Amino acid sequence: MAGPTAHSWAGGPVNPFKGQREAAIRWTLRICALTSVVGLVLMVAFLLRESLPAWKEAGLANIFAYEWNPDKGRYGILIFLAGTLAVSLVSLLLGAPLALATAIYLHAYARPAWRRVIGKGLEVLAGIPSIILGWLGFTTLVPLVRRLAGGTGMGILPASIVLAVMILPTVATIARDSLDAVPESFAEASFSMGATRWQTLRRVIIPTAWPGIAVAMILGLGRALGETMAVAMVIGPATAFPRNLTTPTHTLTTKIMLEMGESTGVHRSSLFAMALVLLALSMLLILLVRLLSRKAVREFSGGVLTC
Amino acid sequence: MKGKDGFAVKHWRALGLALLIPFLVSPLLLAASGCGGGGDASEPAKKGLKGSLKLSGSTTVLPLAQQAAEMFMDENPDVTIDVQGGGSSVGISNVSEGVVDIGMSSRNLKKEEEGLGLVGHRIALDVIVIITHKDVPVEDLSPEQVKDIFTGKITNWKQVGGPDLAIQVVVRDKASGTREMFDEKALKKEEPKAGAIECNSNGLVRQTVAGTPGAIGYVSLGYIDGTVKALKYGGVEGNQANAEAGKYALSRYLYLFTKGEMGELAKAFIDYILSPKFQREVVAKEYIPVVK
Amino acid sequence: MKGEPVVAVRSAVRSPSGAPPLGEGNGWRGLLEERAAKAARKASMADRAAGLVFKAAAAVSLAVLAFIIGIILVKGLGTAVRPSFLFGRPQAMKEGGGIGPMFISSLYLTFLTTVIVVPLGVGAALYLAEFSRDGRLVRLVRWGTESLSSISSVVFGIFGMVFFVIYMRLSYSLLAGALTLTLMNLPTVMRVTEESIRAIPWSYREASLSLGASRWETARRVVLPAALPGITTGAILTMGRIMGESAALVYTVGIFVRKPPLSPLQPAAPMAANIWHLYTEGALIPDWMRVASGEAAALLVLVLLLNLGAGALARVIRKKMGIVQ
Repeated sequence: MAGPTAHSWAGGPVNPFKGQREAAIRWTLRICALTSVVGLVLMVAFLLRESLPAWKEAGLANIFAYEWNPDKGRYGILIFLAGTLAVSLVSLLLGAPLALATAIYLHAYARPAWRRVIGKGLEVLAGIPSIILGWLGFTTLVPLVRRLAGGTGMGILPASIVLAVMILPTVATIARDSLDAVPESFAEASFSMGATRWQTLRRVIIPTAWPGIAVAMILGLGRALGETMAVAMVIGPATAFPRNLTTPTHTLTTKIMLEMGESTGVHRSSLFAMALVLLALSMLLILLVRLLSRKAVREFSGGVLTC
Repeated sequence: MKGKDGFAVKHWRALGLALLIPFLVSPLLLAASGCGGGGDASEPAKKGLKGSLKLSGSTTVLPLAQQAAEMFMDENPDVTIDVQGGGSSVGISNVSEGVVDIGMSSRNLKKEEEGLGLVGHRIALDVIVIITHKDVPVEDLSPEQVKDIFTGKITNWKQVGGPDLAIQVVVRDKASGTREMFDEKALKKEEPKAGAIECNSNGLVRQTVAGTPGAIGYVSLGYIDGTVKALKYGGVEGNQANAEAGKYALSRYLYLFTKGEMGELAKAFIDYILSPKFQREVVAKEYIPVVK
Repeated sequence: MKGEPVVAVRSAVRSPSGAPPLGEGNGWRGLLEERAAKAARKASMADRAAGLVFKAAAAVSLAVLAFIIGIILVKGLGTAVRPSFLFGRPQAMKEGGGIGPMFISSLYLTFLTTVIVVPLGVGAALYLAEFSRDGRLVRLVRWGTESLSSISSVVFGIFGMVFFVIYMRLSYSLLAGALTLTLMNLPTVMRVTEESIRAIPWSYREASLSLGASRWETARRVVLPAALPGITTGAILTMGRIMGESAALVYTVGIFVRKPPLSPLQPAAPMAANIWHLYTEGALIPDWMRVASGEAAALLVLVLLLNLGAGALARVIRKKMGIVQ
């Protein structure tokens, strides 16, 4: 689809090398675009290379085993996997209701001025560095949890609270966008039958937007899964299975973060193996998001009210 | 597209300028920070050494190396010495891979590390002291009790003469030289209990112990301050005199590792650390000097 | 729909036969009326309650934000605004240290990364939006970008360590960190730029092409300038993210330096990574908590300025270019 190369439409001299230059530029841009793919491939390749000793030494089954003790050759990551899942799910439990409620407010109840203010507020919240939230958690939240629940004050609870604050903007903005995306005609039809705002939301808008809302929650989960700094400062850490919300434990991210600089040999390789597991988890979530997004498109096309 | 034509060109320049501002401001700030730091620009250079050194490794050796770096750089303004932490294991692997020039370690080489061509230089003797949260009234623990507490056989302070308070064990991470020494000498090669909090620096151990009621841990002598309480080990106080006299068991050497032939700058720096003046003035404060 | 009638039926119209008005105890019609009126009352009560709940939720969200910003600033701004702190030398074992080199590290790193990632991202977005057909390559690129954007920062950090620091022999340096952050932020820049480009009406391009411009000339002279507000916003937002990043930098750039970095090949200590250093190993400094609080406040102020400035700058550019969008 390149423009005319040899002759100008109105006649007159034209750069004879335009065609070549155009092709060269196109290639440059193509290379720019491929950077992300190349980067991803390099990442997977190098992570695999570094983690190979661990896979060889322990084998696939043992990596997902319970016991972690590098001195004895045990590289089971189940504890950390459990920690990651626990912290992510609890943070979603704590943060999603507030985020969804805020999204509904922004979509259906907010005056334009407040919509801008709170929307901007969510953007600002999203931009707050995780290390600052972790620092706040360490200086303010951990002593509070210690006073209320006893023990060290570190563990899944403070970590989930900090994470809930972090995923709040993500879940809220994406949920709001998917609520906004519901065709106005749906709401109009409902109002014309005399339904109240809440009734319309409950029976029409939210059910229609639910794939988008699910995407919002999954993306929030993904963010919580991959968070490192904020969690590392409030989770203990300890290589112990998370028995309850206030015992110190570890997640995949914090284990990698805290031990990468201090490990050698197979121990280090097993940390890379954990990174691969994290990578696989996040790509799985992206797959889920894609499937759900396709479903959302299908729901809107046709414009027929589906009850 | 509406709007003034000339702006199309102007805004690129404006954007470029906006992005360049931090870059332009930095040299000015550089000059400011250089002058604000204590006027070493006015002192004549004593030696003509130039170049840069990178160190990484044990967090126990870190303060010593940083102090030495500061003093060395004051005497040789054209030298840059960079000290990072990471733990003994990473210091050793970094220097063997050539990522840094000198690796700091609070332990000697392990068997698998011996074939890497590394040369060890002892720079100080370090004392490990057992600490607890300030509210724990216990003053002294026998080696047996220490072992049982850290391995989880004793779980409450009342079992060793204290109040009815659960013991929270705090240890270092797996690759720490400090932990290795503690596990070997105090725990007789046994494993610390499963629920112990693992901190990857002396500083974090102290912090965690200081903030958690009922906590017990161990740190290098230089990290003891008013926020934690130091315990005696087997009736012996952990200080330089007792360690030198051989009465205190928990002590070990601190090393600097280099690979192969040392560069001139690295040799000068290590010689500086081993000089009687540095050993006397700095090392002797929190550690035990190896050179008198 | 199940349950009570959703709809409230209310009629003040008298029936044509002159019968008494509805709802006044007249058999089944009255019953229906009553049920409907009750349902309507319940529905409006529920609506009011729901409204309160959602307004409260938004208030709570805002309160959380205010609390976080407030407490960080209250605890640290006093320390941070002093020039002896902001530009002062850090101390390793004594009190009274500053964060001068860290401040410069953050600025330097942000500048370096932005200079690399924005051209790359804009070029990639341009390719996706203007120069390609929706074929296999485009789908591959989109999949790669989406996947990249979902990966945890610590994974980027250790990849940066083994690839840039060790394999490419860059050692701990600003450049290694900048390249790692480029990979991390490429998806964002691409996404924002592509959105801005796609928002430009096709008529702009038509006009340019019909005058004989090539695809590239159109892109350069028409599309990119029109997309500039969006690109600028994306660039500044990315700068904010770079300033706040720490996990990916601890193993690629460094966490503590005594002098400001002069070249991209030197190690540095961006503020966010330095706070981590203070948390883990700063305990030797008697006033480390004060330093960390001050650094956190300084960092927060910078990030907030970037965040709020992005929108403002975009508005200014739009006005100056007279873009109506």
